[in-house]
Amino acid sequence: MKLEVKDLYKSFSGKEVLHGISFNVESGKALGLLGRNGAGKTTTIRIIMNLFEANKGEILLDGKKFNPREHQIGYLPEERGLYPKKKVIDQLVYLGQLRGLTSKQAKENTLYWLKRLGVEEYKDKKLETLSKGNQQKVQLAETFLCNPEIIILDEPFSGLDPVNSQILKDIINELIDNEKLLIFSSHQMNYIEEFCEEIALIDKGDVVLTGNLGDIKRQYGMNRLAISAVDLSINQLENIFNSELNNIVKIIEIRKNDLIVELLQGNSKNDLLKAIIDLDLDIEEFSIYKPSLADIFVQKVGEDQ
Amino acid sequence: MKDFFIVLKFELMGFLKNKSFIISTLIICLLLAVGLSIPTIKDTFFSSSSEDKSILEDPADEAYGDGKYGYIVEDKDAVNIEDIKTNFFGGQLVEADTIEELEKKVKSGDFKAGFRIQSPVKYEYIVENNEMMDFNEGAFQDALVKAYRIKEFGNRGIGYDEVEKLINPSIESQTKILGKDSAKNYLYTYVLVFGLYFVIILYGQLIATSVASEKSNRAMEVLVTSTKTTNLIFGKVLGGALAGIIQFGLVMLTGGIAYKLNAAAWNNKLDFIFKIPGSVLLTFSIFGILGYLFYSFIFGALGALVSRTEDISASATPVTIVFVIVFMISMMGMQNTESVVLKVASFIPLSSFMAMFVRVSMGSVSTFEILVSLGILALSTGLIGLLASKIYRMGTLMYGNPIKLKNAIKIMRSK
Repeated sequence: MKLEVKDLYKSFSGKEVLHGISFNVESGKALGLLGRNGAGKTTTIRIIMNLFEANKGEILLDGKKFNPREHQIGYLPEERGLYPKKKVIDQLVYLGQLRGLTSKQAKENTLYWLKRLGVEEYKDKKLETLSKGNQQKVQLAETFLCNPEIIILDEPFSGLDPVNSQILKDIINELIDNEKLLIFSSHQMNYIEEFCEEIALIDKGDVVLTGNLGDIKRQYGMNRLAISAVDLSINQLENIFNSELNNIVKIIEIRKNDLIVELLQGNSKNDLLKAIIDLDLDIEEFSIYKPSLADIFVQKVGEDQ
Repeated sequence: MKDFFIVLKFELMGFLKNKSFIISTLIICLLLAVGLSIPTIKDTFFSSSSEDKSILEDPADEAYGDGKYGYIVEDKDAVNIEDIKTNFFGGQLVEADTIEELEKKVKSGDFKAGFRIQSPVKYEYIVENNEMMDFNEGAFQDALVKAYRIKEFGNRGIGYDEVEKLINPSIESQTKILGKDSAKNYLYTYVLVFGLYFVIILYGQLIATSVASEKSNRAMEVLVTSTKTTNLIFGKVLGGALAGIIQFGLVMLTGGIAYKLNAAAWNNKLDFIFKIPGSVLLTFSIFGILGYLFYSFIFGALGALVSRTEDISASATPVTIVFVIVFMISMMGMQNTESVVLKVASFIPLSSFMAMFVRVSMGSVSTFEILVSLGILALSTGLIGLLASKIYRMGTLMYGNPIKLKNAIKIMRSK
């Protein structure tokens, strides 16, 4: 399956909040929807789920107009919500049935997922009596209980402790292995980095960066090197680079343990190496810079500001 | 359609499993059953004095007790005490020797009251506590007047019996009712209209609250992505409506059965409330249920327009006012089923369910009129249901300030 989001526009009371969002996802892959708070991630997801109508643009699944109700979708809304005053099992079975499961299936799946997420013991409790983390797990059980083909998770890790995050990570990896189509939004880059092959970085209603995460990283690391030296502080190293090597590289970023530099046009890594040897610097690290997603994010969103 | 029944079942069970629903239904039914059984209980356990029964049978006896009343006559020549005694129905008149003795016995309670008869047309009433509902004095005055008349007519050589026959001829009458006996139908119509009013107001609020709370606890987002909004709102409204019907039906059934079992002890005196003709019950059920649904949809839509349950009562005020006016028109219509206001109201869907029922129950309406009104009501209930589901869908993700119904319709039109 391939889900294509094409050129979505959305305005709320005259103010345009999405200015043409486009991205693609395929089964067996996870797409990470990145962006700062208020960038338009949730609005995009709500349009995909047909909760909002887009002013312009379309969403296609395998080339046909996508109607969320025709498919089994596991949707975890950003604003979690179930019935606080009803028993956990009652409401999950109810929602399972609404998504087309028989009452028996719904019950079995509910028990399976509650067990898998470690909240089986609360099945007969009212939801409001559970801790926030456990309520979150009940919500996750609700998301997965109808064996969804497509899974859309809006900020799935918020509110989970490290142990529970690990449980969810395992589930997500399993879903990806099972060829499910997965979209998930987050501003926690490390999670996206862990699961997502594809990313779409949204900033102020625009997709500012999209594509394969590996390619993006390579592209961002191209011609950039991370360098540190023995016996020299970063500041000392910075001074040397600024005064002696400014015809070969320019400093991009000063980090705690190393310096990120970019080769100026017409210079190669070897040119830099030679120059460093001439200066007789005791090099500790000389490597191709592999930016983290967080670095890319800050750079990209920072650039626009 | 399957989803609709799933929602319906879930919502209905939500009501039926609710403790306050169960307890309130039980209490009302219990009170009704016990209240209606009181005469039977009384007959079974306190039947030793046969007088009890006679009291129940003739309410007139209750006012005219059989206590002792004291009197003294000051002008024994002018006052014919025997005539007074035979015509006093308040109880037994006993002569006291002195005014002091009379007052003492009234004070001690030996006499219920005392009369100091000064002349055939003048007396003094001696009583411990003068109460609002004191029939003794009236009864005594009647006796005094009668004794006076007997004496004066006698003085003129006319037999009093003859005079009485002339003045109060006994007239036999029968009423042949060709249409409806409004007087007889009044009470059960009243009870049914009032019950309907109560159920709609109560459950309307509950349905609105249930919708609004789904919105405020954000369950709506999951629901709306799981099934069609028409399933949700119809299931919810019909579920709530069904709970109301079950409760109302149970109360009526309990009352009916309890009365049937105890009818003999009541001497069928409550037939005017409990003996409701089948046709009236049928009209009540059809019109009542449709009207109930009509308002439930409106309340459901109102619930979707607010974000917090606290805002409901404010949002629901205009609808509640309209509903109360409808109720008042129907109540006043019960006095005069031919009034133009009632006739007009019986065709407007906002009021027809109640007004038409009043007309059917207490007045005379042609079947054609009933069918037309029913058609209008059924159609508009369906339409209002669809409108409610649109509003529900639109209100789903609109948080913040409550949206006015007027604006909601405007927004939908502009789409």
